[in-house]
Amino acid sequence: MIYDIRHVTTYAYESPVSFARCSLRLEPRTDDGQQLISHAVEIRPRPAERTVRRDFFGTHTESVLIETAHRNLRIDSRSRVSVARLAPGRTAPSPPWERIRDVAFEATSLGPASPVGYVFASSLVPVLAPLTAYAAPSFAPGGGILTGAVDLMHRIRSDFRYDSKATVISTPLKEVFEKRHGVCQDFAHVMIAGLRGLGLPAAYVSGYLRTVPPAGQPRLQGADSSHAWVSVWCGAELGWVGFDPTNDLLVENDHIVLSIGRDFSDVSPVDGIIVGSPKQKLNVAVDVLLVE
Amino acid sequence: MSGLGSNQESKVRPGQRRMAQWTRDYARLPGTPDEYIGPDGAPRAAWTRFFDAFSALSPPDIERRFASADRHLREAGVTYRAPGETADRLWPLSHLPLIIDEADWQQLTTGIAQRVQLFEMILRDLYGEARLVSDSAVPAAAIAGSNEYLRAVCGIKPPGGRHLHFYAADVGRGPDGRWWVLNDRTQAPSGAGYALENRLVLSRAFSNLYKSMNVERVAPFFEAFRDSLRASADRDEPRIGLLTPGAFSETYFEHATLARYLGFLLVEGDDLAVSGDRIHIRTVAGLKRLDVLLRRVDSNFLDPLELDASSHLGVPGLIDVLRKDGVVVANMPGSGVLEARALLGFLPSLCRRLLGETLVMPHIATWWCGQKSAREEVLSRLEDFVIEGAYGRTVPGFAGHAPVLAGELPPAERDRLRQAITDRGIDYVGQELVRLSTTPVWEQGRITPRPFVLRVFAAATPQGWTILPGGFCRIAEKADARAVSMGDGVRSADVWVVSDKAVASATLLPGADTVRIRRIAGVVPSRAADNLFWLGRYLERAEATLRLIRALGTSTRDPDKGASTALHSVERIQRILVTWDATSQATRTNPARVIAEALQSEEKFGSALSLVRSVQRTASTLRERLSPDAWQIITEMVERLALQVDDDDSIVSAAELTLQELASLAGLAQENMNRAAGWRFLDMGRRAERAINTARFARQFAYDEAGDDDLDVLLTLVDCQITYRSRYLVGPALAPVRDLAVLDPYNPRSVAFQVAALNDHIAALPSLKEHGLIERPQRLAVALQATLTTAEAATLDVKTLFALEQDLLNLADAIGLHYFPHGPNASRPEKLTGLA
Repeated sequence: MIYDIRHVTTYAYESPVSFARCSLRLEPRTDDGQQLISHAVEIRPRPAERTVRRDFFGTHTESVLIETAHRNLRIDSRSRVSVARLAPGRTAPSPPWERIRDVAFEATSLGPASPVGYVFASSLVPVLAPLTAYAAPSFAPGGGILTGAVDLMHRIRSDFRYDSKATVISTPLKEVFEKRHGVCQDFAHVMIAGLRGLGLPAAYVSGYLRTVPPAGQPRLQGADSSHAWVSVWCGAELGWVGFDPTNDLLVENDHIVLSIGRDFSDVSPVDGIIVGSPKQKLNVAVDVLLVE
Repeated sequence: MSGLGSNQESKVRPGQRRMAQWTRDYARLPGTPDEYIGPDGAPRAAWTRFFDAFSALSPPDIERRFASADRHLREAGVTYRAPGETADRLWPLSHLPLIIDEADWQQLTTGIAQRVQLFEMILRDLYGEARLVSDSAVPAAAIAGSNEYLRAVCGIKPPGGRHLHFYAADVGRGPDGRWWVLNDRTQAPSGAGYALENRLVLSRAFSNLYKSMNVERVAPFFEAFRDSLRASADRDEPRIGLLTPGAFSETYFEHATLARYLGFLLVEGDDLAVSGDRIHIRTVAGLKRLDVLLRRVDSNFLDPLELDASSHLGVPGLIDVLRKDGVVVANMPGSGVLEARALLGFLPSLCRRLLGETLVMPHIATWWCGQKSAREEVLSRLEDFVIEGAYGRTVPGFAGHAPVLAGELPPAERDRLRQAITDRGIDYVGQELVRLSTTPVWEQGRITPRPFVLRVFAAATPQGWTILPGGFCRIAEKADARAVSMGDGVRSADVWVVSDKAVASATLLPGADTVRIRRIAGVVPSRAADNLFWLGRYLERAEATLRLIRALGTSTRDPDKGASTALHSVERIQRILVTWDATSQATRTNPARVIAEALQSEEKFGSALSLVRSVQRTASTLRERLSPDAWQIITEMVERLALQVDDDDSIVSAAELTLQELASLAGLAQENMNRAAGWRFLDMGRRAERAINTARFARQFAYDEAGDDDLDVLLTLVDCQITYRSRYLVGPALAPVRDLAVLDPYNPRSVAFQVAALNDHIAALPSLKEHGLIERPQRLAVALQATLTTAEAATLDVKTLFALEQDLLNLADAIGLHYFPHGPNASRPEKLTGLA
């Protein structure tokens, strides 16, 4: 499948901003099951400097410096991506979860794909004892990693309420867990924390969902903004498998991966520092069209 | 007269008798080695030498010297802050040094030098190809678990050629008599500044003893460190900054001490900016390139753009500058990864692999539970182990009790620990419980053994690693010294490495031929200029407030004054004190309380006490720029003003004493402070505040219908009684008094004199803008000076005086806005928010 993605981020400031230094992570990855065809980002006002590099996780990261005074910052990103992913079935056989844990602990690579980078607490995802206890019943002794993760994803979807007003980025995970509500980012962080508490490798994925569902299917939650889900390492054979706890779905061809990290802070699509206006209004518009 | 003892008694020196008395009950603790008493049960030679000399001093002399050491620490303001506290604590110093003989020390330095050399090689690998991990020499989890393993730094070659420039190890003497490493500090080790201060204090208090013991000097170490940081930059005469989290940091005193001693600029993240591919410091003369940053800010807070986004302590874009080889950061961000205990067990094999040598220094036997065999070992006899976090200072799930002595946990907690290690063994290490050696401390006239930890410092030089001969010793009250940080009951001690031969004396003064003569001393960071300006304003405001208090205190008790007019002046003084928030409107119903409140109120921010506290707080951020004398006066002033006084007489004399201290501070600044740009800002603050206050006093007491008493008060407040009387034979008259207080350019207390001084300063300061127009502070100051020069006393009235006061306030604000872009009105960087 080929998608056209438009991702427009605008900041409106109350007073003029004289300086901005931003990091943009807006280029969809080329990965197993996904191929970037084209990508362009237009920025207004026009930056004084734009430099591109790949970060540790392999994400295309653009550093932008704006020195023109402005009240509006508009970042317009367009991408074309082809997706052909094969997800395992929800009941497919997989190695026992304890085995996954031991292998991850004994990893011999620090690289971005190595499971060892995703078993520890990260800045937005602490390991919390009650959350680990919440995840534990999904993992019976000797049970398969896939079975366990599917069960945990399903329970999160049933136990947590999707509420786009309930949380902001700075809402601590502990509070999200106690109040049992949040947005896709919170659902993903909850699932990651539960898995890591048990010593299982779980990564955070930012990306998109197709806006118009296939005929006869309901529209998915989070389809008109940027989306987030979880990638779980299921052993050398299955590799990293995507779990979308917001929609209780295994990730297949309706999802487009933007970038992967330990939590939101590693992948936030637009990030930066400005000088001039403490008050800002953010608007994000995402449109994902199926081309063919 | 002289006591005639028996022959036998006279052969025993009094010192030996004292010594016997002090040491009578001194005994090694069971199973614990001791520094004073060697393994053979006899005192060690170096200590015997020390105690021989020490016991020659008479007990009163010893007490006097101890007291002088304590006084010095208090006066120098040597402080630290215990984690979680907001107030500075005084530094408790153990009066006896820790003494280590040269041969023993040699062994320690060899081990430390090897260890840090190994660490540098490990870091180079981990942040480069990570071959050690792919070859299974180090498990990936032992690295990945540390939040000091910075993925953003992977692949960056450290500018300056090395990751580690400064290193510290906490060591203790193990039961086998060798020195063992307890902790490694590879990120931003603290303590060297305190070690320096302890040395200063003890070597002064016991100067002869210190000289006779042939103690290795510490200055050459700091000199070597400074030189090698200079050499790491890519130009000669580089600019070096010491990056501090700020005055609220636990060890801010140390940052200021080191910056002053090493001649580095003390900077905070806000003082720095990325421009082009370099780091710059914001100064009163614009952005200036900074070449080297010695950091005391933890890695994760260094760059909100690439590391912890919530940090306000760093510099946005710093990591990218490192990528472009634009600044040397010591130590390189991410070097703290080596502090993880998970790594300890792998060091012996890494040493063989990387250096082809056997690891010299032992560390406490450590089992990292991320490995199956080690985990099983720890779980099989959990109660024998001390459990520590594998990466950080805390034990996950057991916050607040690091280290966890498994054997002492209640059964339910021990089960919880067992489960935690089973689930996530990677987070824990088990360590052997060891008793470390004790050292003598002086307690109530005798010596007692106490456990200690010694922090040893190493600095990289082009010729290899050099070790500070001495260190920072912390002495615990508890039997297990391993968790010692500065908290209750912990003392620090100077560390003397003693030699049999005489040692060369040394200071940080360079040889005459190596220094290029320069007369302008470096740059003034905007923040320092801002603080100097405010220091000047607080000093002057404190002085004005004290003069008001004194005038009020003396007028109410002067029986010769006409009751009605005096009352009128009194009311006016009170009104100013209320406006300045030195006293409250309510207090005025009880006039006797007014001066007490204005002098000492804790609540009123305008009271003299609050103002001198503001002086002290502001001065504390300028410690590296103030002379020790100035700091000492400030400390004494605050301490004395805080002592409660009640009757009018003692209030007035307290005010007078404080005025004298303020005068000596002014004298110090005038006579002893270098006239480079820093001094100008201090003086500008003082001049601006004095001009504003004098204009206000003139308006209040030389108003159009002012009487003799009012004018008399004004002459007192502006300290011009004598000048006036020598100039005019008549009593105070309106126009001459106004002329003297406001217009007279020769009177150093007049408004005109202050404005002229401000003009001189502004003209001498660098101009920031390139468009060639006159800048706002200068425009206002020149206009004011013209007005004052051409005005006539006869035409002044309350309205013009009020306008003058407003113009002066505007000028002060304009100076702030122009030179201190970080002042309260500055725009600070904001984080882009929201889920984007």
